[in-house]
Amino acid sequence: MKRITVGLLLGAMLVVLLSTVSEMPQFGSPSNPTHNYVSSRYVGKSALETGAVNVVTGIILDYRAFDTFGEATVIFVAALAVVSVLARGGLSGD
Amino acid sequence: MIEDNDIILKQAARVLTPFILIYGIYITFHGHLTPGGGFSGGTVIASSLILNRISSGNRGSGPEIDRMMGIASIALVCYGLIKAMGTFFPDFTHRVLPRGIPGDLLSGGAILPLNIAVGFVVACVMYIFFCLIGEEA
Repeated sequence: MKRITVGLLLGAMLVVLLSTVSEMPQFGSPSNPTHNYVSSRYVGKSALETGAVNVVTGIILDYRAFDTFGEATVIFVAALAVVSVLARGGLSGD
Repeated sequence: MIEDNDIILKQAARVLTPFILIYGIYITFHGHLTPGGGFSGGTVIASSLILNRISSGNRGSGPEIDRMMGIASIALVCYGLIKAMGTFFPDFTHRVLPRGIPGDLLSGGAILPLNIAVGFVVACVMYIFFCLIGEEA
């Protein structure tokens, strides 16, 4: 009885997931909801607003510079953790 | 541990190290013009430092790690200060760091100093990782 219930639940979930997949927007279609004003502004005005030719750098170091600050902080904290665990000579004695 | 008679390895590393270092600095400084930037350039710089270290033998690394941690913290604080200045005083920042002509090396406002700061952080952290993990093995 328990197995039948689990099988029915899993089958229902499978039907829901597959119907969701069939309703998804087509890959690369220009009418997708991801192609909104944000990406068009990044692609169209990045060189004017940031002065950088490389659009990716313009995004990660100008529009989203605080996100990059967080990434650098994560790396630095990882280094702090590794030093605090592994260092024998440095940063502890002096 | 590298013995003293590994002269081929030492000389090859001595020839290669400055070129790798310059290539890393190039990637870091051209982050706003070509693919690359602080993260990838810092990794290349760290690879040149690591090559220098593993070819010249395993020295003690205590003071080096201290210095590298100091450089990384100063670079991280500089990143935060530059970006905070650009956020709270945009007019002053645009006068000090002008946006310039897109395509020039000195253009892009605060992007170039931020790239350099990220490159320092990444290079120092990679080198520290290698020092500590190589020391344990």
